[in-house]
Amino acid sequence: MRVGRAVSDAQEAELDLARQLRRVGERHAAEPDLYHLGHTLARRCGEHVERLAPFARRYGVRAREGRTESPHLLEALRRRSGELVGHSELAGLLLLRDLRDLSLTAHEAEIAWVILAQVAQAVRDPELLQVATECQEDARTRGKWLRTRIKQAAPQVLVAG
Amino acid sequence: MVDRVADIWGARTPHGVDEPWPVRVDQYLAEGVPEHEVRWVPSACVLCSNGCGMDIAVHSGRIVGVRGRAGDRVNHGRLGPKGLFGWQANNAPDRLTEPLVRQGGTLQPATWDEAMGLVVERSRQVLTERGPLAMGFYNSGQLFLEDYYTLSVVVRAGIGTPHLDGNTRLCTATADFALKESFGTDGDPGSLRDFDLCDTLFVVGHNIAETQTVLWARILDRLRGPDRPRLVVVDPRRTAVAREADVHLPIRNGTNLALLNGIQHELIAHDRVDREFVAAHTVGYERLARTVADYPPERVAKICGVPADDIRAAAEILGAADRLVSTCLQGVYQSHQATASACQINNINLLRGMIGEPGRTVFQMNGQPTAQNTRETGADGDLTALRNWQNPDHVAELARIWNVHPLQIPTWAPPTHVMQIFRHAEEGSVRFLWIVGTNPAVSLPDLRRIRSILAQERLFVVVSDAFLTETALLADVVLPAAMWGEKTGTFTNHDRTVHLSEKAVDPPGQARADMDIFLDYARRMELTDKDGAPLPKWRTPEECFEEFKRVTVGRPCDYSGLSYEKLRGSGGIQWPCDENTPDGTERLYADHRFNTDTDYCEDYGHDLLTGAAYERQDHAALHPEGRAILKAAHYLPAHEPPSEEYPFLYTTGRTVYHWHTRTKTRRAPQLDAAAPDMWVELAPADAERLGVREGDVVRVESARGRIEARARVTGVREGVVFAPFHYGYWDTPDGVSGDGWHRAANELTITDWDPVSKQPLVKVAAVRVEKIADAGGVPSPAPTTAASRPVGEDLPPTEGGAGVRETVEGASAPVEAVRETVEEGS
Ligand code: SF4
Repeated sequence: MRVGRAVSDAQEAELDLARQLRRVGERHAAEPDLYHLGHTLARRCGEHVERLAPFARRYGVRAREGRTESPHLLEALRRRSGELVGHSELAGLLLLRDLRDLSLTAHEAEIAWVILAQVAQAVRDPELLQVATECQEDARTRGKWLRTRIKQAAPQVLVAG
Repeated sequence: MVDRVADIWGARTPHGVDEPWPVRVDQYLAEGVPEHEVRWVPSACVLCSNGCGMDIAVHSGRIVGVRGRAGDRVNHGRLGPKGLFGWQANNAPDRLTEPLVRQGGTLQPATWDEAMGLVVERSRQVLTERGPLAMGFYNSGQLFLEDYYTLSVVVRAGIGTPHLDGNTRLCTATADFALKESFGTDGDPGSLRDFDLCDTLFVVGHNIAETQTVLWARILDRLRGPDRPRLVVVDPRRTAVAREADVHLPIRNGTNLALLNGIQHELIAHDRVDREFVAAHTVGYERLARTVADYPPERVAKICGVPADDIRAAAEILGAADRLVSTCLQGVYQSHQATASACQINNINLLRGMIGEPGRTVFQMNGQPTAQNTRETGADGDLTALRNWQNPDHVAELARIWNVHPLQIPTWAPPTHVMQIFRHAEEGSVRFLWIVGTNPAVSLPDLRRIRSILAQERLFVVVSDAFLTETALLADVVLPAAMWGEKTGTFTNHDRTVHLSEKAVDPPGQARADMDIFLDYARRMELTDKDGAPLPKWRTPEECFEEFKRVTVGRPCDYSGLSYEKLRGSGGIQWPCDENTPDGTERLYADHRFNTDTDYCEDYGHDLLTGAAYERQDHAALHPEGRAILKAAHYLPAHEPPSEEYPFLYTTGRTVYHWHTRTKTRRAPQLDAAAPDMWVELAPADAERLGVREGDVVRVESARGRIEARARVTGVREGVVFAPFHYGYWDTPDGVSGDGWHRAANELTITDWDPVSKQPLVKVAAVRVEKIADAGGVPSPAPTTAASRPVGEDLPPTEGGAGVRETVEGASAPVEAVRETVEEGS
């Protein structure tokens, strides 16, 4: 049985996404919704990771820490350069590319939860199923947010930019 | 005669729950006007969302005063200080009377042909080079329905850009969204009469006493009457409303959601839920119950900084209510987790089964007088007549009525909100921006940024306004607009009451009605429908209204039963008004059937945390089918918490004497004198720690800027600094203040918005405060009335609104005996 594998995959996927959310938020600090929501959602990813900690132990893999804060200085630097980039006409293209990449990573994380939920059912672990189902729901909402944001940004960047 | 600056709400006319609200006619005429020679023109007040019925007094071709309309359902004759004195702005000597065009760096007079020629030339150029997505339009909450609808058709069907928003985004976008989320479509369900009929009032972040003074007079008449309703107030300031409360919860700003979840926790824990109603008429209860289970009073008390027992006491009052009216405003809408919190207030009435019946409702209150019409006409981020931009049938219907191709109407994404339009202008993809009757250079957050965007060479800015505002000073073309009283049109208040406001006098000089300016633009741009006919096709306000009626048929805001004829001289008629309801409709959802059918609703809803837009299948999967939706969300800490560097929480708001950026009220001498200059408010304990006393000059600084003003020590919550947002720079000697931009409250606010309603969050920021000069015997310019009342200081009281006549119907003379002064209360 490789249940632990599915648990650590979900943890890794969420951690990847959290890091990317922060990076994109800071790089596009001139887009305040991305900056603030990016950080809020990154914290949420961290909470998801921590909810898996007991199951990591249960299925014999390493429990990961949820914290993924950027070092203070690095964040400030990225944010400052994000604000500068924000005034240039290339900002839009960069934004669209980052949002697209972000949505791929988010999709990967969502699939990791789908897999975990399937596995939880097969091994009859109702607690794991509960966590996986709830986190999958969150992941789906995250995906919708990114879709909404991309729908809004794409025409502006590609037609008027 | 009465001084209505000193006595804001006028004489009391107390009454019980079974009696009608007595009539009291308030009148103010300029000194020396011979009353018998005055011609009275029916209208309504456009200085707040109450929309009090008023007659305009005209003498020798000029507006010379006003009086309340006795038979009007909204105010029963009363007017507040802004309504009584605000009209004087129409006669101000510095009205814009001719177009201005920027030449060699300064604005120079021009003819309409020159100015419009330039606007059209630049529009064409931008459209050719970059297309409609490079065009932006930002309008007001103070125009008439006819102005908005014309603009909406010009921009959405003619130009074809999604970048059209109103400054209602700063004001009631959250009301609009909360109503859509919970009930399926916009439109406040209740009637103002519900305030006469309730036994309990729940007031959240809504300083009614200053935002809608006549509504507060109405409530005071109940509070002083034989069966006084109980009152629960949530507000970090000790407002005149809070002083009347049975329970006042002065929570930390930014924590509304935690508190409201906590109250629902208590309602559920003590079984104060109308189970039958919830089962039959709502969806989402399970999820809501699960969410609020995490908010026991002790936890909430820690988050919000108020005693757990007070939270319990508040919930107990709400739980015991039989006729509950809840209301909220900017303390919710402009604060952290705005839409999520506003939805919880809807939930409370839904859990209690108190909606759609006399004395039982929730008001997602409006701020601006005609905000409702921006939303109905689609001159903000909504689609005309409460249609759903994600529903292709709704768009097709609109396209049929407008006779344009459905793809012409930009509905591929949510309509762009103002902060995003400014963002597009900042990164350079929006190159043309037309600002109509609003002043973003003072009213948007983070003003340094806003000024730098508007000042860009590559952005062509058109401003139409009645005055040379801070924003107009940054424009390339300025167009002089007619004001209220100088044009005919309709508008709708927060309980859906429609008024007709008739033209009383001619606009000054070459100023024109906004509708006429947009029509002129459309003709010059040669905008046409798909058969080549002019778009829009109307020429007069009445023709426009008739067209608007057509587009509302079958929608919740059905105007089809109304006409200018019917509205003329009426006491106000509430929509929906169609052939089956010729007298209008007092309450929505009287049958407890909500507008949530998937094919009918205005919006498929959002995730409250991220603002992700749900799509058709998500909405359909909920099976609301006419049931209200209980939305749930967890509290999260605000984005800019106080820190060591910036230890205070900053919040902004209004004073009773002013309206927005004072373009009108600064020109009414009584209102100006009552609150002539910027101030900031500190709590007594904070003032003492900082060594600040009444009138001392303090510097308040955030990560974005700083302001300097005289301090007033008030009943604001400890740790919170309050600043009024009215004061900008046009009336300072050098166009700035002192050595720079240090007067406007929005120098300090943060660029951040609610994920769902996109309303800017100007009520939560972190600041630091220091004293920079002694008072030198000069008190703070803050009024001594209402929320800025000083604590522990004896100051000369604010007055100067003499000459108002109040006539209480049935009384032989005005009721001086029950008059209150500002001294009353604790
Ligand atoms: S309450 Fe509002 S509408 Fe009524 S008079 Fe005052 S400002 Fe005007």
